[in-house]
Amino acid sequence: MDTVIKTENLSKHYGRLKAVDRVSINVAKGEIYGFLGLNGAGKTTTIRMLLGLVAPTAGASYLNGIKVCPGNTDMWKDVGYLVEVPYSYPDLSVRENLEIIRRLRFISEKNCVARIIEDMKLDQYADVIAKNLSQGNAQRLGLAKALIHNPGILLLDEPANGLDPAGIVEIREMLTDLAVNRGVTTFISSHILGEISKFATRIGIIHKGSLLQESSVHEMERSRKNCLQVRTKDLNGAGTLLEKRGYKVTLTEENLLEVTGKDAVSEPENMSEILVRSGFAPSLLKVEEEDLETFFLRVIDTKGGVK
Amino acid sequence: MKGFYAALITEIMKAVKSKMLWITLLFFAFIAVMMGLLMLVAKHPEIAENSAIISTKASLISKADWPTYLALLLQMALVLGSLGSGIVTIWIFGREYSDRVIKDILALPVSRFNIVLSKSVITFVWSFLLLLILLVAAIFTGMLVKLDGWTNQSIIQFASTFTASSLLTILLFTPVSLITCISRGYLLPVGFIILTMIVTQLVGVGLTAVSPYFPWAIPALISGVAGPGNPEANIFSWFILGITSLLGFAGTAAWWRYADQH
Repeated sequence: MDTVIKTENLSKHYGRLKAVDRVSINVAKGEIYGFLGLNGAGKTTTIRMLLGLVAPTAGASYLNGIKVCPGNTDMWKDVGYLVEVPYSYPDLSVRENLEIIRRLRFISEKNCVARIIEDMKLDQYADVIAKNLSQGNAQRLGLAKALIHNPGILLLDEPANGLDPAGIVEIREMLTDLAVNRGVTTFISSHILGEISKFATRIGIIHKGSLLQESSVHEMERSRKNCLQVRTKDLNGAGTLLEKRGYKVTLTEENLLEVTGKDAVSEPENMSEILVRSGFAPSLLKVEEEDLETFFLRVIDTKGGVK
Repeated sequence: MKGFYAALITEIMKAVKSKMLWITLLFFAFIAVMMGLLMLVAKHPEIAENSAIISTKASLISKADWPTYLALLLQMALVLGSLGSGIVTIWIFGREYSDRVIKDILALPVSRFNIVLSKSVITFVWSFLLLLILLVAAIFTGMLVKLDGWTNQSIIQFASTFTASSLLTILLFTPVSLITCISRGYLLPVGFIILTMIVTQLVGVGLTAVSPYFPWAIPALISGVAGPGNPEANIFSWFILGITSLLGFAGTAAWWRYADQH
């Protein structure tokens, strides 16, 4: 595996507060790594350490195999980033703000400013001063600054903040395109699992500074709790029957049987047949998938609670 | 060099596009014009006989001639030079924090040192430009007011003293840049500038023996406007002034390089 972004026991402690604690991550080339956590979980501190803005208390991070060090300016040529709310020089226009970044990134191609303005759909705001931009367009300008030099590595801290639904879809498609077609490695933090899971290839969940779980999106799908919901006239009788047949059954507050285990979710027709033949014809039979937010909170609750 | 050049160009862009540059230039020109007008009132007291405030100020001026005017101008340059360069420093370094764009310029192919260096160069040039405007506008106003005692030689000599004392005053902007970066805001460095101005006055009046060793009092000693009661600047004075400026710059560069940037 060609590891592009790597952290080894990366830690940042502020006195007794462990903002980030022994986080080890490996992100391969072309991967989109979703870094998920609640506010204050340690996402931004991790990204700041990856960018050399904050020195780790212990551990280290590497980009393209080079140890992150603020003095090593060459390594930033291939890195585009956006940390927290993107701010720009308020009295300068969109074009001027991008021109500053173009010069500081030694990009000789002057046309790149016009190109990124077009790509980020900022054409009509090119000469608008940054302080007059809407939150969504300020976010687009922040992304434009991160992407102006066609970086091979993207470190993005909640890039969808402030964007409208169309903008979120657009960014998602753009990042997927960059990863798939150009092999751009993306490390993206968010607190919305539903959004991240739509395009990330791997997801890490951080809570109270510790990495609780790391898995591919497919593995995560498998570990989500799914069940079959059943409603019949005689819930107790049906429940007893299903338990005898090896299913795990719980009665919910909504007067539904939640059935898991065996083939309950994968082949609900089998169970339906059992119920009908035994005189417990179901009036409702529904496969219920645990939604992503519930899954996320469950992981934090169970694994994070151990700490 | 490439990094410094790129950083310098962007700092020039930011400065030229800001209102601050033009406001400070206008302010310094305005001060010069007001000084000239005060000389006019001192020369013709009947102009302001109905205004007690103006006539009182004008009466403080012993003679309405070029030597008095230039001595006043030098005093103003030392005070305004310190204040002006301080404000420019706070703005150039502090805006990265107040505009919250600091993080955008820390992980770039241009080194942080080059950014600090380019900011320092711009601060120096901008501050000197302010004092140059003060000098040119004051001389122009003095000519319009038709003050007595003009000689080419005295003006040339004054211009060189003015330039030297201005440059020495401006050199002391670096501790302000360090405090601005550490505090990540405007309030503490403003307090520091005010404090240095007050302490300089106290040293100049009550602790004259210390003045050759107090960095902010040294430019006045070197330019000869500190008054006859003050000792002359010595070799240590030059050293202290230089080392204060260097330490301020090195501290600012080290802060950018090593401190956690949140």
